[in-house]
Amino acid sequence: MNETNVSYFIGFVLSILVIYWISIAVSVIYRKIRVKQISRIEHTFADVVSRYLYNDPLNPLSISEINETLKSVGIRPHNKNNIQYLISLMIRTQRTILGGNYIKIKKLYTQIPPYNASFSKISSWNWYRRARGIREIYEMNQSQYLDEVVKFRNHRNIFVRREAQIAMVVFLGWESLRFLPYLKRNMTLWQQIKIVEKLYDHYPKPELKFLHRAYKTDKLFGKKLLMRIIRKFQLHSETDFILEHLIHEDYEVRETAIYCLQTFAVSSERMNFIKQIYEKVTDSSQQAQLLNYIFENSDIDLDFYLQQLYGPNEELKLNVAEILWNNGYKEKVQEFYYQQYSKKEELNAQ
Amino acid sequence: MLNDLAKFFSSEYVFIAANYVFFAYGIILMSFYLTGVILASRAIKRNKKKARFLQVNDIVSATDIPSVSVIAPAYNEGLTIIENVKSLLSIQYPYYELILVNDGSKDDSLEKLIKEFKLERKDATFITQPIPTATVNHIYKSTLSKFTHLTVLDKNNGGRADALNAGINFATSELVVCTDADCIIEQDALLKMVRPYLEEYNKEIIACGGGIGIANDSVVRNGVLQELRLPTNLVPMVQVVEYIRAFLLGRMAWSEINGLMLVSGAFGMYPRKRVVEVNGFDAKTVGEDLELCIRLRRLMEEKKIPYKVVYLPETLCWTEGPPDYNILIKQRDRWARGLWETLKIHKKLFLNPKYRYMGILYYPYWLFFEFGAPIIEFFGLICIIAFAFFGMINWSMAILLFTAAYIVGCVFSTAAIFMYVKNFNHYDKPKQIIELLLAAYLEPFLYHPILVYGQMKGYYKKIFGIKSGWGTMTRKGFKVSDT
Repeated sequence: MNETNVSYFIGFVLSILVIYWISIAVSVIYRKIRVKQISRIEHTFADVVSRYLYNDPLNPLSISEINETLKSVGIRPHNKNNIQYLISLMIRTQRTILGGNYIKIKKLYTQIPPYNASFSKISSWNWYRRARGIREIYEMNQSQYLDEVVKFRNHRNIFVRREAQIAMVVFLGWESLRFLPYLKRNMTLWQQIKIVEKLYDHYPKPELKFLHRAYKTDKLFGKKLLMRIIRKFQLHSETDFILEHLIHEDYEVRETAIYCLQTFAVSSERMNFIKQIYEKVTDSSQQAQLLNYIFENSDIDLDFYLQQLYGPNEELKLNVAEILWNNGYKEKVQEFYYQQYSKKEELNAQ
Repeated sequence: MLNDLAKFFSSEYVFIAANYVFFAYGIILMSFYLTGVILASRAIKRNKKKARFLQVNDIVSATDIPSVSVIAPAYNEGLTIIENVKSLLSIQYPYYELILVNDGSKDDSLEKLIKEFKLERKDATFITQPIPTATVNHIYKSTLSKFTHLTVLDKNNGGRADALNAGINFATSELVVCTDADCIIEQDALLKMVRPYLEEYNKEIIACGGGIGIANDSVVRNGVLQELRLPTNLVPMVQVVEYIRAFLLGRMAWSEINGLMLVSGAFGMYPRKRVVEVNGFDAKTVGEDLELCIRLRRLMEEKKIPYKVVYLPETLCWTEGPPDYNILIKQRDRWARGLWETLKIHKKLFLNPKYRYMGILYYPYWLFFEFGAPIIEFFGLICIIAFAFFGMINWSMAILLFTAAYIVGCVFSTAAIFMYVKNFNHYDKPKQIIELLLAAYLEPFLYHPILVYGQMKGYYKKIFGIKSGWGTMTRKGFKVSDT
C-alpha cells in the first residue's frame, strides 16, 4: 500500500459521497413534486366522483369526460405509480359510500381506468404485487376473480395467502369455513383477527351449519379461529366448544379459550364444569385468569375457594386469599395463615 | 521504566505490528458497517411493503389484539410529571393501561398526581410480586372516568430497573412497554409496535424496539410533539445524526439477521410472561435494557424455542438528549459501565456454540467492537503520540490514511441521513438536511473524542472499583406550546 493507492481510494470514496449528496437532493425534489401530483389527483378524483354521484342534469358528466380529466392529471397506463394511487383512492372512497351511491360508484369503477389492473397483478412473480392485486380485488368486490384468488390460499408467501384467505371470506362468507380451518400452513394472529373482522362486517348473520362442520378440524390455528368467531358473534349456544379447549394440551389454544370465555357469562351448570376442570389447567398464570373469571361470574363458592387455599398451588394462594378477604371471609384467611405459621413453628422446633 | 517504554515504541517491529492491528481492526469494523448499510436498506424496504398489509387503522378497529401496559418509572420529576403523564395517556391503543411507578420520589410528584388525576388509594395487601422489588406502599387509581386506564404505584426507591419490575408485576396485559416518564411517544406507536406480535407465526417475538429520536428544542403541545426542530446546540445536533445512524443502520441491520442484542430502555415492548420468567430487569446493573435482552435471548436459546428480537425503523419515541458535554460524558460513562457489567454477567456466551450465532458472532461483536472500540481508539491515540515522538511516523501517509478513514466515516453518516430522508419525513427541509450533514462531518472532531473520554471514564471506574450509580441527568425540558 503506497500513497498513490490511498489517494485513489480517497477519490473513490469521495465519489460515493457525492453520489449520496445527489441522491439526497433528488429525493427531496422528487418528494416535493410527488406531493403536488398526488394532491392534484386527489382533488380531481374527489371532484369527478362527487359530480358523477350527484350529476347536474343540466350539465351531465360523461364517462369520456371523466377519463379525459383523469388523463390530464397523469392517470395513464404507463404511469404505474399514479394508477396505483388512483386504485387506493377508489378503495378508500368505496369504503365510505353506502346504498344507491355504492352501486353507482361500482358501475363507475368498471368504466374508468385502471381496467383489470388488479387482476393482472395476481399473475406477477413478485409477492408484493400479487398480494396487493388480491387485496384490491376483494376491496373492490370483484367477485368474478374468486376462482383465481382461491388458488393462492396455501401460497408459500404469507402475505399472498393471507390476502387470498381474506378474499375467500369476503366472497364466500360463512361457507369459507369449509376451507379455512383446514389450510396447510399456520395462521398468524392477525390472519385470524382479519378473517373474523371481515366475516363480521360482511356476513353478520351466523350460519351455524358451517361452524359445526368446521369443529372437526385438528389444526390448532383452526380451533383458535373458531373460538374467536364464537366470541365475536357472541354465540352463547356454542360456548361448549370453548370450554372443551380450556384443558387443551397446547398453551396457545388454552390461552385463546380463556380469552374468548371471558366475554361470556355462562350458566351455573357450565360454571360447575369450569370449576371441575380448573385443576387440570397446567399453567398457573392461566389458572389465575380462570380463577378471576370464576370470581367475576359466579357467587362465592366457599368450598371451591377453600380447596384452592389449602391446595398445592402456592402461586395462586394469594389470589384466593384476596377474594375471600374482600368478600366477608377474613377469618378463613386468618385461620389459614395462623395454621401456616404454627406449621412453620413446629418445623423450626423439630 | 521510561527507558523500556522508549525502547518499546522505537522498535520497528512494534511499529509494524501496531500498524497491522489498528488497520485490521478498522477494516473489519468498516466491513461490518458496509454490511449494515446493505442489510438495513433491504430491511427498510421490506418493512415498508409489509406495513401496507397491516395498516394502523385496521389494528385500531380490531377486537382481538393483545392488551398492552405502558410502564413508566418516575423519580423526582415533579416539575414535568403532569405533562408527561398526559402525554403518555394520549397514546392510541384500544386495550391499554398506563402504570406510572413513583420510585420513592422525594419531591411533590405524588401529591401533584393525586390532585390532578383525582387518584384514590387502593388496597395493596394482596399485590402479587412474581419479581421481587422494593416495597410497594400504595396503589392509586383515578376516579375520573377518562383516566380509568391510569394506575400509579407508590413504592420505596430502588432504581429504574426495580421500578420497572414493580410495574411489570402489577400489569395484567400480555405485552408490556417499558419507557421513561419524560419520553414523548408517538400517538400510534403502540399500534405499530404490536404488528410483529400479530404477524409472526413460527417464531416468538421476545422483544420489539422502535426508533428513538432526539427532540431538543422541539415544540410540545398537550403532550404531543407539535413541531420537530433540529437542536440549536452542536452536542444534541450531533446526537440526532448519531441516533439516526445507530438505529437505522446498526439496529435495523442486526434485526434483519435476528442478531439484535439491545432494545433501548427508553422504548421497548416485551411479552410480560417471558419477562416474569427471567425475573425482570436486573436492578444491579446500570445497563439493564441490554442485560434483559441478552437474558431473554439466552432463555430462548436454552429452551430451544425459536424466537426473534425485532426492531422497527420508524422513530416512535422522542427524548431529550444531553444538552452539553458534561451531561453527555455522564451518560456515556454510565452506558460504558452498563456494557461492562452486562458483558461480564454473560461472559459464558463468548464463542459458546451452544448459543449458536449469539455465542459465535453477536456477543464477540459486542465485545470487540462496541466494548473494545473506545479502548482501541484510546490506545491508538497513545501510539500515535509515542511513535511521533520517536519519529517513526511517515506524516504524509498518515494524513492520507486519516483523510481516508474520515471520508469513509462521512459516507456512512451520509448514507444513514439519505435513508432517513428518503423513507421518513421528519427532516425534509433542505436547510435541515444540510445542517444534519454538517453536524455529521464535524462529529469526528468536536463530538467523538468527548464520547471516547466518557466511555473510558466508565471503564476506569470499573477497573478501579469506583462506585457510581446513574448520575444526575439534568434536562432542560421541551418547549411547551399552549396555542
